[in-house]
Amino acid sequence: MHYLTDQVVKLDILSVRNLKKHFGGVKAVDGCSLKIDAGTVVGLIGPNGAGKTTMFKLISGFEGGSGEIMFKGRRIDKLPPFKIARCGMVRTFQIPHALTKMTVLENLMLAPNIQCGEQIWNIWLRRKKIKEQEKLIKDKSQKILEFFEILHLEDEYAGALSGGQKKLLEMARAMMIDPSLMMLDEPFAGVNPTLARKISGYIEELRESGMTFLIIEHDIPAITKISDKIIVMNEGKIMAEGVPEEIKQRQDVLDVYLGGEG
Amino acid sequence: MIEYIDMILPYLTTILLVSSIYAIFALGLNLEWGFTGLINFGHVAFLAIGAYTTVMLNMSGYSLILSVIAGIALAGFFGFLLGIPTLRLREDYLAIVTIGFSEVLRFILLNEEWLTRGSFGIHGFERPFQDVIPYQYYNIFLLLLFVAILGIIYFSLEKLIHSPYGRVLKSIREDESVPSALGKNVFSYKLQSLIIGSAIAGLAGAMLAFYLQYINPFTFKPIETFNAWIIVILGGTASNKGTVVGALILWTFFSGTRFIEEYVPFESHQMGAFRMIIIGLLLMLLMMHKPEGIFGEREELALSD
Repeated sequence: MHYLTDQVVKLDILSVRNLKKHFGGVKAVDGCSLKIDAGTVVGLIGPNGAGKTTMFKLISGFEGGSGEIMFKGRRIDKLPPFKIARCGMVRTFQIPHALTKMTVLENLMLAPNIQCGEQIWNIWLRRKKIKEQEKLIKDKSQKILEFFEILHLEDEYAGALSGGQKKLLEMARAMMIDPSLMMLDEPFAGVNPTLARKISGYIEELRESGMTFLIIEHDIPAITKISDKIIVMNEGKIMAEGVPEEIKQRQDVLDVYLGGEG
Repeated sequence: MIEYIDMILPYLTTILLVSSIYAIFALGLNLEWGFTGLINFGHVAFLAIGAYTTVMLNMSGYSLILSVIAGIALAGFFGFLLGIPTLRLREDYLAIVTIGFSEVLRFILLNEEWLTRGSFGIHGFERPFQDVIPYQYYNIFLLLLFVAILGIIYFSLEKLIHSPYGRVLKSIREDESVPSALGKNVFSYKLQSLIIGSAIAGLAGAMLAFYLQYINPFTFKPIETFNAWIIVILGGTASNKGTVVGALILWTFFSGTRFIEEYVPFESHQMGAFRMIIIGLLLMLLMMHKPEGIFGEREELALSD
């Protein structure tokens, strides 16, 4: 029985049913349903204003809408963002939200949850445990920074980083909470080709280790290359869904989005 | 020489006493604004709650220590009450609500005479160890006591902000959507910061009452809130050391300018306004040339990007 539930959880880590969000007359997300299998990379593409980022906000709890969102077998659509994050889902932002007046290391060390020293009374009552935990968290932070090849920047204030480095910082910070699902909003935008290839490499490496990704991206060649499945949104609706090769062939997708590129 | 010391010592004691009270008062604000990014324009209300609660309970026969603890607790509780409806909203709502609250509270203190004696104010309450310490040494004793309290508050806050807890507060100040996306209960942390900051202001209120021996609603005008803001900005936002030094500088300036009163052609009320003009000018110069304040770190500057 346990095996069976495990299987179910593994099959679709996230399922969204009939998700809706209207801003006045604008139907930003208009009855979308989707399923994401565990351990896959799913690309979410579509023209500007298609509702991709709103979809992200709805899933991660930053906006309230209607519809049903199940994450790892648990209903999360009424939960506040911090509770959703604690379930193991983490999102990044389209414009990197580095905590600019904190150091790179502090940015990462902030992330892990259930830190003993985040309870005010523990600061005085459980000093030893906090010290031990801080050491572990620091080691882990440094390992992740090393993985993203920005360890040499650990003591820099995050505000001093370049745009691309901030993107890496944000992914690194998200990694610190060991998410099962990582949602990236345009990880390749404004990033030079070398760095973009590097980010792709990281995503594939992390997928190998079992992490699931949902990625909004406009860089079609890059996203089709790393995705197992592509979802195309247009005017708040999901217009196509399938493996990258299939999507690239679809005439309606080409018409609204890919234009001459395909 | 001895006479000279006799003259200067009470004067210095007074400056240091007032500075230590205001340092504590401003440290509460620095926790809220400097470390958490909360804009509290009614900080004086919590000073008033601390002072009035302590004094009124003591006058009703409760022991002094119990009265002070109640003053601190009630100030913290009002921080909690104000935080509940405002901290989920954009940050400016807290500013609007707190400034409104502090004025409403002052008018209640002024008009509910059965409770607060209105504009007559309250005096004749107990001061700590007043029966034990000879009167001529009392201010020196009070100074030692206040500096000790300041030390405790200062080191506790330093410990707090250099802990994982402080890290969460700073992340909220920077961009609250990040800690939120990482699983931190931002609202709860903001509320805690406001409660602690208010409770610290409550403690400063009790100390102010002990020093003045007399309080009335006019002690708690909105300008006191802005004195705390001046102290924090002057010393360096997000620097506890800067806040303590800022308090010292401000009060040295306030009392130092008394000496030049005979050389300037102003009445004393004009002199008060003149002082504020100078302070405003100095702050403008500070913002232009050293916006992080005296001890603030430029990288940590929370005033602007």
